[in-house]
Amino acid sequence: MRLILPIAAILALSLLFGLAAGHDWVGPAEIVRVLSGAEDLQARLLRDWRLPRVLAAGLIGAMLGLSGAIFQGVFRNPLAEPYLLGASGGAAIGATVALLVPLGLPSSLALGGLAFLGAWAATVLVLAVARGSGAADAAGLLLAGVAVAAMLGAIRSFLMLALSDETVSLQVVLSWTLGGIQTPDWAGLALLTTLAALALGVSLSLARGLDLLGLSEDQARAFGLATDRFTARAVLIGAGVVALAVAYGGLVAFVGLIAPHIARWWVGPRHRALLPVSATTGAALVMVCDGLARAVLPPAELPLGLVTAAAGGPFFLILLRRRLRP
Amino acid sequence: MTRLTARELTVTAGTRRLLNSVNLDLAPGTLVGLIGPNGAGKSTLLRALAGLTRPQAGIATIDGQPAADLPPQERARRIGYMPQTFQPAWDYSVRTVVELGASRVPSAGHRLDEILRVHDLVDLAERPWSRISGGERARALLAATLVAEPAVLLADEPGASLDIGHRIDLMRRLHAYARDQIVVLVLHDIEQAVRDCDRLVLLERGRVVRDGPAGDVARTSDLDRVFGVRFACGQLDPNTDAMLMLRPEA
Repeated sequence: MRLILPIAAILALSLLFGLAAGHDWVGPAEIVRVLSGAEDLQARLLRDWRLPRVLAAGLIGAMLGLSGAIFQGVFRNPLAEPYLLGASGGAAIGATVALLVPLGLPSSLALGGLAFLGAWAATVLVLAVARGSGAADAAGLLLAGVAVAAMLGAIRSFLMLALSDETVSLQVVLSWTLGGIQTPDWAGLALLTTLAALALGVSLSLARGLDLLGLSEDQARAFGLATDRFTARAVLIGAGVVALAVAYGGLVAFVGLIAPHIARWWVGPRHRALLPVSATTGAALVMVCDGLARAVLPPAELPLGLVTAAAGGPFFLILLRRRLRP
Repeated sequence: MTRLTARELTVTAGTRRLLNSVNLDLAPGTLVGLIGPNGAGKSTLLRALAGLTRPQAGIATIDGQPAADLPPQERARRIGYMPQTFQPAWDYSVRTVVELGASRVPSAGHRLDEILRVHDLVDLAERPWSRISGGERARALLAATLVAEPAVLLADEPGASLDIGHRIDLMRRLHAYARDQIVVLVLHDIEQAVRDCDRLVLLERGRVVRDGPAGDVARTSDLDRVFGVRFACGQLDPNTDAMLMLRPEA
């Protein structure tokens, strides 16, 4: 309960920044005027173009923050991030196929759908490899993840070389891998909101197990957690959440790594609070970074992943320094 | 009354036998110590009895049910296992660790404050794990294990990092717990094991070589042979084994 007000305040401020930032900066008074129903061109642009985009950015960020907290919890490792188990490599293969092969599907559907399938399938493959070799614990999964990610990287490079020609630019694929938010229509936004809410709900069911795993795998078992089964479930849920984020926003760097850290510094390591706060932090980061991506070099728009890494890196280092200071 | 048994319990790692056809019958009423040199299989036996290590042959049962086949939640409720130490990935507070121990049993939550008080942890409750001593961690872990009031307590070196005052307090507490529940401890300190346990199980290379009242095991030559040390056994009070003293000879 004590978290609801600060969470709401952070989300509101980030939303306002996202709405204000862009090629043309918009002041608070103008935002209030637009949100209270003005109907001129600028108002419609802001309401029908910028607002859904900022909200989509927030939802994608929330899912990245959420999946980051799940992966760090499962692997008991603060360096774990959502793309750890090959989700990025799998998604990139899906996106490469969608962007370079004419599939006869609407491009947004093919791109999102194949990126989602790629991310999910890569994680399932990692899980199967780890289980097949009798190493379904966190260390076994990490090693299988590294191996699968390397193979997926090679396959993606091969596909890019084999499928591209003069008419299809590799730059499109590269640009996707740097992340970026597309403005959804209101129906698309409603679907994304539903999926994100579902992701949060399902993730919260992992809270106790993630807390127990944080003690140690052995101690978690001693306290009644079926660790292998739980790890598989948590990884599949985390992969599903990150696959959704990737499908809608491409490969947005760094948010899934730092959002859980900021959340942990704020509310401590218990996952019932950590998961929603990590989602909040991710949402705020992506809304702000997406605003900066639109505003820094107008009329050009920077790739979102570039901004999240450039802005998030120093911020993270400052926090780390403060944290390590005795 | 709960019964914990091992029948021909065998655990291997590769080609090496960590436990070799171990047989044990354990019931409430006696404080049992597992002793033996390094690598004798004490911790492996404890984990196998807890159902945390699946044996390659033989079986460990609790009330006739194979411990390793129990649903994890039920096993955790009935068998409390306390490792020597553990390193949480996150800097949990003492209260959080005890809370997580209590989460095994829905009704244990209301005992939280009481167990913190009983284990002298009230002042440490909000302290992060990284800022408490080894002894304080051992007390917190014992509290987290006992808060669910398991019928069996299996503890690996529970007093190893405790100061003398807390160690005496711990053994008194374990003796009291052993009146109605099964308590098995792995102990490296032979003098303490002989002094504090009612029954000792002496292990050597995965086999039980002696199993009996502490005084009897202390007086056997097996103890000297297994540890490669000559022990002098004496009693401060000749009328009771409770003051049995064991010292390695110079």
